[in-house]
Amino acid sequence: MSAYDDFAKEKQDIDDLLARGYTVAGMLETLDGAKVKFDEAKPGSGSVELLLLTADARKYVTTLVFAGLEKAQ
Amino acid sequence: MADLSINLAGIKSPNPFWLASAPPTNTGYQVQRAFEAGWGGAVWKTLGDPIINTSSRFAAVNFNGQRVAGFNNIELITDRPLDVNLKEIYETKKRFPNHAVVASLMVEPKQEKWHEIVKRVEDVGVDGLELNFGCPHGMAERGMGAASGQQPDLVEAQTYWVKEVAKTPVIVKLTPNITDITVTARHAVKGGADAISLINTINSLAGVDIHTWNTVPHIGGKGAHGGYCGPAVKPIALNMVAECARHPEVTVPISGIGGISTWQDVVEFMLMGSTAIQVCTAAMHHGFRIVEEMIDGLNNYLDEKGLASVTELTGKSVSKYSNWGDLNLNYKVVARINEENCINCNKCHIACEDTSHQCIDMLTNADGKAILKVREEDCVGCNLCSIVCPAEGAIDMVEIDSGLPPMTWNERQQVVGGLSGAYSKAEVV
Ligand SMILES: Cc1cc2nc3c(=O)[nH]c(=O)nc-3n(C[C@H](O)[C@H](O)[C@H](O)COP(=O)(O)O)c2cc1C
Ligand code: SF4
Ligand code: SF4
Repeated sequence: MSAYDDFAKEKQDIDDLLARGYTVAGMLETLDGAKVKFDEAKPGSGSVELLLLTADARKYVTTLVFAGLEKAQ
Repeated sequence: MADLSINLAGIKSPNPFWLASAPPTNTGYQVQRAFEAGWGGAVWKTLGDPIINTSSRFAAVNFNGQRVAGFNNIELITDRPLDVNLKEIYETKKRFPNHAVVASLMVEPKQEKWHEIVKRVEDVGVDGLELNFGCPHGMAERGMGAASGQQPDLVEAQTYWVKEVAKTPVIVKLTPNITDITVTARHAVKGGADAISLINTINSLAGVDIHTWNTVPHIGGKGAHGGYCGPAVKPIALNMVAECARHPEVTVPISGIGGISTWQDVVEFMLMGSTAIQVCTAAMHHGFRIVEEMIDGLNNYLDEKGLASVTELTGKSVSKYSNWGDLNLNYKVVARINEENCINCNKCHIACEDTSHQCIDMLTNADGKAILKVREEDCVGCNLCSIVCPAEGAIDMVEIDSGLPPMTWNERQQVVGGLSGAYSKAEVV
């Protein structure tokens, strides 16, 4: 059992989206995890939602936004 | 050698070690012997209408061979007439003019009662007054002690009445039997207190005898709740001192009390905002001469730190005591096991496996020896394994660079708040 693997997978999903030009556009924390909405760089090209379950991923994604790092990914 | 002298709101003493108001300061004989042993000050056993005590009044909680980990008492204030105490205070002060003699007082919450006792006590030359708003048993049933100390308005009013007539500094001694001690501390300040002291004892029942079904202690088969003190209460006292020290409206100096047994404890209380400290249980357990070690230890520590005066310690750690929401969530430590110090007891594995994050593996090394290894990426750095490990130096908690910039919970919540708008709009539509 590895909690790190669960986080690593979620982090990979976040990093992949950011690498493809998506930015974090919204976040809603619920009892079942954090819904994070990613918008594509080109307006009107839709958005993707991730449901982040691990504490480390929920922390990671907000750290990126907080520190203005999401675009650098 | 560093200067150990302190000045608590105008009360001077040759060192910060005071005996707390309790059995060790019951008589002139005791206080004078304590001063000879090295104590810098004493808060006299609380004066008021002389009471009657029960026989069988103390009990201790021993824990795994450590005697008196905690101490419990149902003793009340002085049982001796005021005149007798005042005569001995006068004689003590005459013999030890440079030591701090503070009179602890407790009367009914009435202005004229406070005025009367303050005047009589100050006439014999005490250096200050300590108002006992803290005794949790017996006196509280009579509307005094903790009963009045739990009501912020009564703390303020009684302090005010004392200040109307007092010529010496007034210390208000607070009860810990309250949800937020900074509330009563603030009201003491509003009432004009020159300093606060804390903590008095915590409501307690030391135990129940499982053979006789009597309380411990019992008075002929009956018991009543008492007050808890000694080493077990130190963390509670230290937090309360720190909460007062960092509160912007608690602007007066602090005399720290609660479980202090060693010079290291003294340093901790001073770093967390105490100007001086008081001791009861450790003196009752080990005698007055315990202060010798405290003085030596503190002196050596100050020399090692290159500090010229003990006063330089006061409050140095207060700014490091913060709110949970202001802690860095991206700070990371992990456990690391040092094979050479490990005795393979497996306690760390059991603790982590059963009650933490299941990340200490039992492996066999190349020489066929059983070893334990932390999977660092899964370790949340809770410290539990290092807490339960019996072998010195077998587990280090080491800082790891998380690769992320610092971010607190409060900062994170601002980010989340900003981002949640997208969702509320979407959901309204
Ligand atoms: C037996 C006993 C009697 C005490 N009597 C008084 C008292 O008369 N007035 C008072 O203000 N505090 C009294 N206390 C409380 C102590 O002054 C002190 O606040 C408390 O014991 C915490 O310190 P410690 O952990 O060093 O014992 C008493 C404590 C004990 C153990
Ligand atoms: S610090 Fe906590 S999580 Fe890490 S190994 Fe020790 S017990 Fe397990
Ligand atoms: S608790 Fe300490 S001594 Fe015991 S196995 Fe773990 S590291 Fe070794």
